[in-house]
Amino acid sequence: MDQDRELARRAAAGDAAAFTALVRSHEGAVRRFLSRLTRGEGADDLAQEVFLKAWRTAGSYRGEGAYRGWLMQIAWTAFLTSHRAKGRRQARDQASFEEDGGAAHDPDARIDLERALASLGDRERAAALLCFGEGCSHSEAAEIMRLPLGTLKSILARARAALTARLEMAHE
Amino acid sequence: MSDDDRIDAELTAFFAVPDAAPDEAFVGRIERAVRAEQRMAAARRALWRRFGVETLGSLAVIGVFYLLWRVAPANIEISQLTLGPVAAASLVLLLWLGVGLKPAAMGG
Repeated sequence: MDQDRELARRAAAGDAAAFTALVRSHEGAVRRFLSRLTRGEGADDLAQEVFLKAWRTAGSYRGEGAYRGWLMQIAWTAFLTSHRAKGRRQARDQASFEEDGGAAHDPDARIDLERALASLGDRERAAALLCFGEGCSHSEAAEIMRLPLGTLKSILARARAALTARLEMAHE
Repeated sequence: MSDDDRIDAELTAFFAVPDAAPDEAFVGRIERAVRAEQRMAAARRALWRRFGVETLGSLAVIGVFYLLWRVAPANIEISQLTLGPVAAASLVLLLWLGVGLKPAAMGG
């Protein structure tokens, strides 16, 4: 983490090599998060946008939290912005997914859960991915999503309930 | 362990993916984009600098013409001038172009 801060400080001073080292450390997590949020659609382009924004605004990272958390915050904002632009199309995709019955009878629990995750609302999906997938604490996830801690906890509780239902269905 | 903790642990086991080796193709893509941004930013800075210098140059030329007009004798006629206003303006323009084009010719 101290190494990230040092690299971030150098990146803010215009050191592209330091920034590349940060990209190398965190691209996997950022792309995974965006890929699961967007269900793979345009995730890499969005990830590129996130890293370019991180480069342009490198000076605004104050080193108060984890660098990865700061990147995830940019990723979440970028996702929301792009999602608003594609809102109607995604709503249609969601409707067609639900009409297909999701994957309620898929024998593979992991695939079933991934599909259950895909059927959650954006905020529930992001909260579940951050807390269960990326190991963020509730307060870190709340900061990334710019939500009050209580709101994050209730969103996460809804996500947990939906995912648990799928998990139990898969166990039966 | 409470039920919620057990469920959280189970969900974490499902969703958590350990960091894999970096995808060098993606890292390279970002690196190239960052270098391109750096070049663009440098070009933009150079353009603004040049714009500033040229604006100052223009103001200086206008200032010189204004001063000459203020100090010229009131009863002088254009036919008495050895160098007419058009010729003087052309000379200044040529000098300006000469100085302005030099950095471009040298790749500046």
